[in-house]
Amino acid sequence: MNSASPGIERIFSWSSLDPKSRVVLLVSILLICSIPHSSGQETITGWNEAESWTENDLNAAVIHGEIVWVFGDFGTVRFSEDSGATWQNHTNLGDVHLISADSYENSMAVLSSDGIIYMKDSFESEWITIDSSQTGMKSIALAGEESLIIVGNEGAIWHYTGQTWWNRTTSFTENLHDVDFNGDEDGLAVGNGGTILATDNGGTTWDYREAPDPESSIVSVSYFNTYRMFAISNSGQIIYSTSPGGFEWQLREIESAGYNTTLATNLSSIDVVSSSRILFTGPDGYLGLSLDQGLNVERNILPVGVNPSFNDHAMFDYVVGIVVGDSGVILFTDRAGENEDIGFQIPDYNNFGEFVEYADEMLLAGFIATVKIVIFGIMFGFVIGVILAMLKTAPTSFKNLLERFSTSQIKGFGAICSVFALWLIYSGMSRFPELQLNGIEYIFTPVGDPRGFAMFGLGIAIFVISIQFIFADEKLTGPLFKIRPLNSLATVYTDFFRNTPLIVQFMFIHFGLRLGMRIQQVLEGTLGDPGIDGLDYFFYGDRTFLSAIFTLGLNSGAYQCETIRGAIAAIPTGQMEAWRSIGLTYMGTMRLVIMPQAIRICIPPIGNEMVNLVLNSSLAMVIGYSELSRQGKLMIATTFQIFSAWGLVMVSYFVVTWTLALLLRRLEEKTKIPGLGISGGA
Amino acid sequence: MGDVVLSIRDLHKIYPGGVHAVRGVSFDVSKGESVAVIGSSGSGKSTVLRCINRLIEPTEGAIELRGEQINTPGANVNEVRSRIGMVFQSFELFSHLKVLDNVTLGLRHVRGMSKSEAEAVALEVLERVDMLERSEAYPGNLSGGQKQRVAIARALAMKPEVILFDEPTSALDPELIGSVLETIRGLADEGMTMVIVTHEINFARDVADRIVYLDKGKVAEEGPSSIINQPKTERLQKFLSSMHEENV
Repeated sequence: MNSASPGIERIFSWSSLDPKSRVVLLVSILLICSIPHSSGQETITGWNEAESWTENDLNAAVIHGEIVWVFGDFGTVRFSEDSGATWQNHTNLGDVHLISADSYENSMAVLSSDGIIYMKDSFESEWITIDSSQTGMKSIALAGEESLIIVGNEGAIWHYTGQTWWNRTTSFTENLHDVDFNGDEDGLAVGNGGTILATDNGGTTWDYREAPDPESSIVSVSYFNTYRMFAISNSGQIIYSTSPGGFEWQLREIESAGYNTTLATNLSSIDVVSSSRILFTGPDGYLGLSLDQGLNVERNILPVGVNPSFNDHAMFDYVVGIVVGDSGVILFTDRAGENEDIGFQIPDYNNFGEFVEYADEMLLAGFIATVKIVIFGIMFGFVIGVILAMLKTAPTSFKNLLERFSTSQIKGFGAICSVFALWLIYSGMSRFPELQLNGIEYIFTPVGDPRGFAMFGLGIAIFVISIQFIFADEKLTGPLFKIRPLNSLATVYTDFFRNTPLIVQFMFIHFGLRLGMRIQQVLEGTLGDPGIDGLDYFFYGDRTFLSAIFTLGLNSGAYQCETIRGAIAAIPTGQMEAWRSIGLTYMGTMRLVIMPQAIRICIPPIGNEMVNLVLNSSLAMVIGYSELSRQGKLMIATTFQIFSAWGLVMVSYFVVTWTLALLLRRLEEKTKIPGLGISGGA
Repeated sequence: MGDVVLSIRDLHKIYPGGVHAVRGVSFDVSKGESVAVIGSSGSGKSTVLRCINRLIEPTEGAIELRGEQINTPGANVNEVRSRIGMVFQSFELFSHLKVLDNVTLGLRHVRGMSKSEAEAVALEVLERVDMLERSEAYPGNLSGGQKQRVAIARALAMKPEVILFDEPTSALDPELIGSVLETIRGLADEGMTMVIVTHEINFARDVADRIVYLDKGKVAEEGPSSIINQPKTERLQKFLSSMHEENV
């Protein structure tokens, strides 16, 4: 109440908390802040990470029968019997880098960087080693079980058939990067400078095909069937041929890249898995998928924490397969790596989790709105309550107020008033004849001129009062002078607010008086436009908020007034006498002595009033203020989950009121004075 | 006797209910004098006392403090009260304040002293009433006698021209009365002007310079403290004997 009274400390202070509570508080705040924001339109990865048991770079993947093999640096070999989910070790194939692999029916061949080729007929059989004596080879392809093609730097093409190596190098000597066969006759080899070479006799002779961009470095080719040939350049171009034999090649204008001819990312490998579905790999963690022959390419989302350079695919069919990359990364998929949409589904609000996901933001907004009006309403209501209680207990009567004037002044004032009153009566009555309601019997007629009746009535009232002024004696003993005007004023106020329903008060003040709108206009005039966010908006952006705090405050003040008045009445009169006998003014005594004791006494009942105010704040929904109850109603409008919605709203109210009750309990303990009142305990 | 400090002239008080409590009381109090007002319950002792500092407005009559009438509508009632100390039967300490704050509050808010000045004065008067060591206690933790001594200190701190005691020992246990009476006696010895309403006849006889006996709202007998031993009127004799019986 004032600086002189001890015992009032801050209700909450950081320093008064013990370390354990501080940690708990901090951790809870952190937890609340770290709850991730959920949106309904997420996509997740279509790839799963498999454990490869190696950190070496993996360069090639191939499917041989039911088994998928991967090959990498330092002779690393791994195989999986369950489509890539789990992997097992295989003996290393020497201390060489295995860079390319291919399979053809029963045969599988692996090319190492020093030109040695490892072959296998079946899973059980031993590896057969074939030495090509060539270095700088890049890619291998099988054109039949006993026919091998390897390509490499400076246009080198070597063909192994009939246990013998044949040099098939053509006159084109750009470095070749990849070779692929469709069946055992048709094959394609690609390389730098837009080189495309084709064969139709199992690799015996190779012919040049014109590339659409002679500058591009074609790094990978896929010969899917007679009408579907695709290749990529390392700068992200997709070229394709639909003519049998691959005579004509075109550069794809990629729709998803704004009809550019490049994907704006580097690529390393292409795999065509169906007549329309193409998979791409690239460095920097790029995995792409096109469902329409490269017209639209969507980048795949990768599992968290995986971002290597990808090198090769191996697909069992058009959805199931693996991709390998540097640092031993193997990912497997059963949906061709396609991103999985988990949004845009019709929510099932019967599921409480989904209901909460929809409702939590509304509930939080309502919670904040309720706390907001409650805080302002309590402060406003308490101030009004204290003022009214002081007015009600004020001893000042008309006699006290008029004592300083001489009797003749009072009589003169009375005379002036009575003349004014007579004028009011006269002018009020003079309006009656216009209505053809002559005669005193029409005075209670409910039709006519309300202004006339008001003037008439007011005139009579003032006349009765002024007569008492005129006949006042020196001691001012008349009944009028015993009236305590401040008390009467407060009584009228409290009687009015306590005897009308709050819900009607809300509607009268907001829609009738339009208090919120008027206050908002005044504040707008002085402080400027509140906008739609920020502190301005918080305080006067919402006119229902202004109306709501005023209604709640005015209403609660009327009730709190009676409580505080009771507490003041409980202070012994001697306290007032003692202080007055020292010479302090009435207001000083109230402020320094009476109120500090009275407020302590009335903390429990005032707490009651405040809890009531919180609960009454739910009625603010009738003027459209979005507090908890209204939000509850809106939640039900969308979800039809009546039990859950009202349940959550109720819990939220409980949280607010219970916290308030705890705070008040703490306030009561903090401000307790030894020896004042009976409180139980020491 | 010396200068007249307080003068009461033909005091009447009619309560709103019509009870005529005081019917024309007059007496003077000189500087340094202590006057004991005695009388049976309902004789108007407390009403007279409260009229003096205008806690009750007298219906008729005049009260003069140093020759200046103080019960006119124009008189500054708060200024007058600050010159008249009062000690109540039920102490009326402010239970939400410590002893020291109880004493300093008047100095700070009426006399306008700073906190340190007020505390210096307060500690001095608390020493006079022998309550220095309890200056940080709350009134709720004090005994009745201690409370009354703090109340006396509170009145003393304002350096009043006269102190009114309204039955200062009536609410105390017999064994606690001694210390309070001792304190009042000390004040009388220091020459403080006092009006004491009391039931302690022996105390009145020992301490008071003059006795005013009120009966049915009138001064029935007035004189030096010796009238306790040799009452002139029959009514005072009766009163004294009834008090004697009570004490036995």
